[in-house]
Amino acid sequence: MNLGLELMAGGVRGGTSILYAGLGETVSERAGVVNLGIEGSMLCGALAAYAANAASGNPWIGALAGAAAGGALALVHAFFVLNRKTNQLATGLVILFLALGITSLFGAAYVDEIITPFTIWEVPLLSSIPWIGDIFFKADPLTYLSYFMVPLIWWVLFRTRWGLMLRGAGERTEVLRTYGHRPQALQYVAVVIGGLMAGIGGAQLSTAYANAWFENMVQGRGFIAVAVVIFAARQPFKVMAGSYLFGAALALSPALQARGVSINQFALNAVPYVATLLVLMLLARRGSDDAPEGLKKVFEMSPG
Amino acid sequence: MTATLSPPPAPTPTPQAVPEVAPRRGPNWRKIAIALGRTLVAVGGAIVIFGAFMQMKGANPIDAYRSMWESTLQSSDSIEQILVKATPLIFAALAVTVPARAGLVNVGGEGQLVMGGVGGAAVVQWLGTGLPIGLALPLMALGGIIGGALFAGIAALLKLKFDINEAVSTLLLNYVAVDVMLFLIYDAWKDPNGSGQPATAPVPTNEQLPLIGNSSVHLGFVLAIVATGLVWFALTRTSWGFKLSVVGGNPEAARQAGLKVGLLLLSAMLVGGALAGLGGFTQLAGVEHKLRPGYLLTYGYIGFLASWLARHHPIRVALAATLLAAIAVGGDSLQLDSALPAASVNVLMALVLLGVFGWGGKRKAVAA
Repeated sequence: MNLGLELMAGGVRGGTSILYAGLGETVSERAGVVNLGIEGSMLCGALAAYAANAASGNPWIGALAGAAAGGALALVHAFFVLNRKTNQLATGLVILFLALGITSLFGAAYVDEIITPFTIWEVPLLSSIPWIGDIFFKADPLTYLSYFMVPLIWWVLFRTRWGLMLRGAGERTEVLRTYGHRPQALQYVAVVIGGLMAGIGGAQLSTAYANAWFENMVQGRGFIAVAVVIFAARQPFKVMAGSYLFGAALALSPALQARGVSINQFALNAVPYVATLLVLMLLARRGSDDAPEGLKKVFEMSPG
Repeated sequence: MTATLSPPPAPTPTPQAVPEVAPRRGPNWRKIAIALGRTLVAVGGAIVIFGAFMQMKGANPIDAYRSMWESTLQSSDSIEQILVKATPLIFAALAVTVPARAGLVNVGGEGQLVMGGVGGAAVVQWLGTGLPIGLALPLMALGGIIGGALFAGIAALLKLKFDINEAVSTLLLNYVAVDVMLFLIYDAWKDPNGSGQPATAPVPTNEQLPLIGNSSVHLGFVLAIVATGLVWFALTRTSWGFKLSVVGGNPEAARQAGLKVGLLLLSAMLVGGALAGLGGFTQLAGVEHKLRPGYLLTYGYIGFLASWLARHHPIRVALAATLLAAIAVGGDSLQLDSALPAASVNVLMALVLLGVFGWGGKRKAVAA
């Protein structure tokens, strides 16, 4: 496989967990709630999926457990942010600490467990298309599922009445309230959907990508997802592209090492984060204008 | 070991805190009592919930709490440990407090601490080990300050030039800082004589921060207290501090009033980074004496939360950082006495924070 192809295939492989988290964060942010805790939702999702997988031998049960764990953690975020009106960024970080603690408390027992990982399934015909086949159609089922989730989330957000109201909850809470709707209920649903998706992302990471569980295995992918969502201006298809870009940056280090290129490993490890910052710079001042009103308040807050 | 006491450090923060609360149109004792009561209930709730978690893992929560209490607060050893742990946390928290005054969210304490350590180590690497202590320590401290400030400066420039939100950029830069440090540890600065886990060559004894009396607390703790006082002074008693809070309150109004908003934001971020960098230096010169993988891991985030916990009021921030340090030290006892992973104490820390964020003294510090 040549380097370009390997990077692109790696982009999809490594980017899928970020894509799930990013799609979830998109829904959440469209409703006006930033959730840095999706890093924690991914972590809990990764462990829950791994544990349920080990217990049942069925990767799908694992993925469901991962989604449930991620959603449950997001529910905590939603409660504090929406009911107790706590600061969204600080609360998200606390949620991450909660997840770090819970997963280290319950995760140590699973480090050496054997699981039944999702297997790669090659789509007949499509997988034999040059390039495209290697990049998109030799993947695990959760990756295929993500191809459907992107248009689905887009359609729900921008083509359904419910999506319109959800975005309304992020923009003009008072208008929604005037017409007798309950914006807070919508925000709750949005944040929990965000957590469910991040949980599936975590499940993809532990039971389809790494096929292992180790402490703090998410390593900032949730934070990256938040950054991707910002530079993708909360548009699902752009989130997809951004996630794959980051996945490709992740694939760079092993690909070069396999070719015996002697660049320092840690310099390469920094590439995804630097690349994300560079993209944010290139797209500067573009995405910020159509950010939901409710979000601007979070990012331009005064202390206290 | 119980004979070796360290009486001075522990009580110092408290007497400073009292006069600070007082001057503003007399304290409203009723409100303070209500806030305090709610905080206690919130913390109590956190303790009960974490107890349930421990029960689920088969550890007896009562025994675990008792041994945590005994080993954390009833021996002078562990009180010293708390102060040692609190030192970088106080710096990391102040690094959040100063930018927050100008409305900036600095989540980059993690990376700025690391770069402070790198800056301090750079001085040792480049200037050798033969320097007299009176020259070596100030130079290392300066190295730390520069390392932390420059790294925070990147986020400030990204904000001012490209409008990239600083919370996002500092989060991403944290990972870059760790990779820079790992590169140095595994490559350029690797200790050729080291065995086992790679690390930089140790800071020679003549360039280490001296210990206070015969305790294990190093001079860095005193620096942290001094820094807290200076930050309090700068934020509440200087025109710079006043301007920062104007910018934080309403940047547009500040701009129309003729304040140089960009410069003020930059200065707040640089000072924040410098504080974290100083914290990274104290850990290097006072505790670890070398850089290793995992250097000050999660300290930056805990510092961030300490600052939010205390609503960015410098003196309360230092107290909050010390409280979180105590919980972290308690985590070590969990590992030793109850055979739970040390990181599980993060659950307790998170629950306490959620409780206080959610129910403790709400709306109290809006004016601060």
